[in-house]
Amino acid sequence: MAVLKWVRAFGITLPIVLAAFSARGADTVKLGLIEPFSGPIAAVGRDTLEIFEFFANEVNQRGGVLGGRHIEIVPLDNAMNAEKTTQQLRKVIDDDIRFVSQGVGSNHALNIIKFLTRHNRRNPDQAILYLNHSAVTTSFTNELCSFWHFRFDANVDMKVAALVTQIGRDPSVSKLYMLNQNYAYGQAFQAAAQRLLAERAPEAELVGDELIVPFGKVLDFTPYIAKIKASGADTVLTGNWGPDLVRFVKAAAEANLDVAFYTIYAGIPSSVAGIGAKDGIATQLKQVTEMHENDALYDQQPAGLLDTYERWRQQTGKSLYSERMRWTIEYFAAALDKAGSDDPALVAAAMEGMEMEGPAGLMAMRAADHQIIFPMVISTMTEDVGRPFIYDGEDYGVAFATDGWIMSDAIELPTTCEMKRP
Amino acid sequence: MESIIFAVFNGVLYGMLLFLLASGLTLIFSMMGVLNFAHASFFMLGAYFAYQISEGLNFWAALFIAPVIVGLVGAGIERWGLRPVHRYGHVAELLFTFGVAYVIEELVQMIWGRVPVPYEIPELMSGALFTWQGFDYSIYRVFMLVVSVAIFVALFALLTYTRIGLIIRAAVSDPVHVATLGHDIPRIFMWTFGFGCALAGVAGVVGGNVLGTEPAMAIQLGPIVFVVIVIGGLGSLGGALVAALLIGIVTRLAIFYDYGLGSLFLSLGLEIDTAGLLRDFTRITTAQVAPVLPYLMLVLMLIFKPRGLFGTRDV
Repeated sequence: MAVLKWVRAFGITLPIVLAAFSARGADTVKLGLIEPFSGPIAAVGRDTLEIFEFFANEVNQRGGVLGGRHIEIVPLDNAMNAEKTTQQLRKVIDDDIRFVSQGVGSNHALNIIKFLTRHNRRNPDQAILYLNHSAVTTSFTNELCSFWHFRFDANVDMKVAALVTQIGRDPSVSKLYMLNQNYAYGQAFQAAAQRLLAERAPEAELVGDELIVPFGKVLDFTPYIAKIKASGADTVLTGNWGPDLVRFVKAAAEANLDVAFYTIYAGIPSSVAGIGAKDGIATQLKQVTEMHENDALYDQQPAGLLDTYERWRQQTGKSLYSERMRWTIEYFAAALDKAGSDDPALVAAAMEGMEMEGPAGLMAMRAADHQIIFPMVISTMTEDVGRPFIYDGEDYGVAFATDGWIMSDAIELPTTCEMKRP
Repeated sequence: MESIIFAVFNGVLYGMLLFLLASGLTLIFSMMGVLNFAHASFFMLGAYFAYQISEGLNFWAALFIAPVIVGLVGAGIERWGLRPVHRYGHVAELLFTFGVAYVIEELVQMIWGRVPVPYEIPELMSGALFTWQGFDYSIYRVFMLVVSVAIFVALFALLTYTRIGLIIRAAVSDPVHVATLGHDIPRIFMWTFGFGCALAGVAGVVGGNVLGTEPAMAIQLGPIVFVVIVIGGLGSLGGALVAALLIGIVTRLAIFYDYGLGSLFLSLGLEIDTAGLLRDFTRITTAQVAPVLPYLMLVLMLIFKPRGLFGTRDV
């Protein structure tokens, strides 16, 4: 097992090294991917790269873009350091890469938006387009919106809207306890939930609303669990991720707290691995995503796409968590072809308003703020699934089963964006 | 009243875990003068070894085997890494242990992968032992407490009442004389370092399944361990115990008695402008700042009593 992981570690590292040194063929369209490929959360960055390379390869196998050119993913390591993200952007400019993608960490995304807005204004001939696959801070498509930024993930407010809509449908929810991380993202989650709960789940009484110091600073969640117990809550609503989610859920399970957990990020591989099957089932762990492998709609996808999904599972030994990263690539390819050019300004214009068939109906890239709109699904961890969650070839014996879909009209929220177009 | 006792009891449970984490570090520092930056990494190694061993054998085997392996690794690092660096002084030692922390983190990621491993509380002890205020305390929580107390008592007795403890303490204050009496000082230091690492290993075995066993755990736990030993007084075992309990109890009380800082100042008779510049400040509650309180205590301690509660050495 250990040996296998060594081999895999090199198997992942080697393409990064090779890609970095490979000849820059003039016939590829380069997409720089700025993510953490080193440091303690490198797993997230490497998983992202693997998905991007896999689906870029799919496009290339189909015949590529712009009449036969290939999409080339150029990995750029930021080691989860926002300053390094800026350094990598300078490298992007030096290497004449005109498209970048990033998604892990909204502070990095903010750096990229600010940097590129300035750079593109000063150098309109060398403009760079940013495809944001996962950074969810709502203001990026509100007051901070930019013509050069497109978001392929639902923002925090939309995710909360989906969760709260489902809570409104769930008759077992009567008393709700909220706990979030005390920084921009957690506060945005809290504000959106407070606003939307009154409208969409008026029956649910909010019996607790707490903010904690984020990023693994809380070692022991026992006192919070005791407070939740004392409040009589039957449901917890949290935006926590990473150790702040894992320890929270594990502490609840250890104290036999009888509540259901509504979360955003329970399904990312490190959460599932960290929480484990027993504690996840005990806390009725729920997530909101754009798709998951055990939904009925998954099996109704076109045969070609199902084959691709199956090949992904076989080839990587991993469950596909992020459908949105595939969409990022598909939108990119379609917009290149529609624009008939690799000029970022033309590609951006082509992407505005572009629609694409998603798993549960049409998705649209809203032109007003460059925010993608699509249906989302709430699902609960269970043992009773057809496709168990796998990671690095290891079968965890559990996965998520659908509670319900939230359609686009319930997720689409108004924007305050005043887009400045070049 | 009962809720205060409840908060204090929770604080003791948490504080003893902190003490368990810090005991090895303070031992190594008091005996060798080496501030081991890689201490939390040995804790992480203990957790990963325990996971691997409990996969093959069981938790009880892990509890005894994993710390021994961690201790041997620590002793090896002292013998072939730290000892040659020793003559270049404390800064060199510090930098060396700093580097060791990075190496261990990378090795752990190479061997066990970059996502958390499913190291779970043993089934036998996951049941509830007693229920207080509607809150189930698992057998394991109490087991952690017992292990921590046992470690403290054993360490204290070892250093105070045994011949080995006597030699170790003498070797710190007067290495030349102890050496002329025929004791091999470098070897004593090697085993002291190894023993300190083994204590971190025990903490890893016992705490890894509660805190989560993942590559980032060392980085997350590093700072709080240092806070414990600095507040307690560098090199003081009793100080580390008191500091850990203090931190545990204060943070628990802050979370249970969730006062806004604004109302807290009001109750102290201070009028604060709640609309102007300080608006955001007064809206903060004690529960929100609870995990930061230890660091505030650290700063205050360094200002008013730099030696810590029971320290005999300057920081």
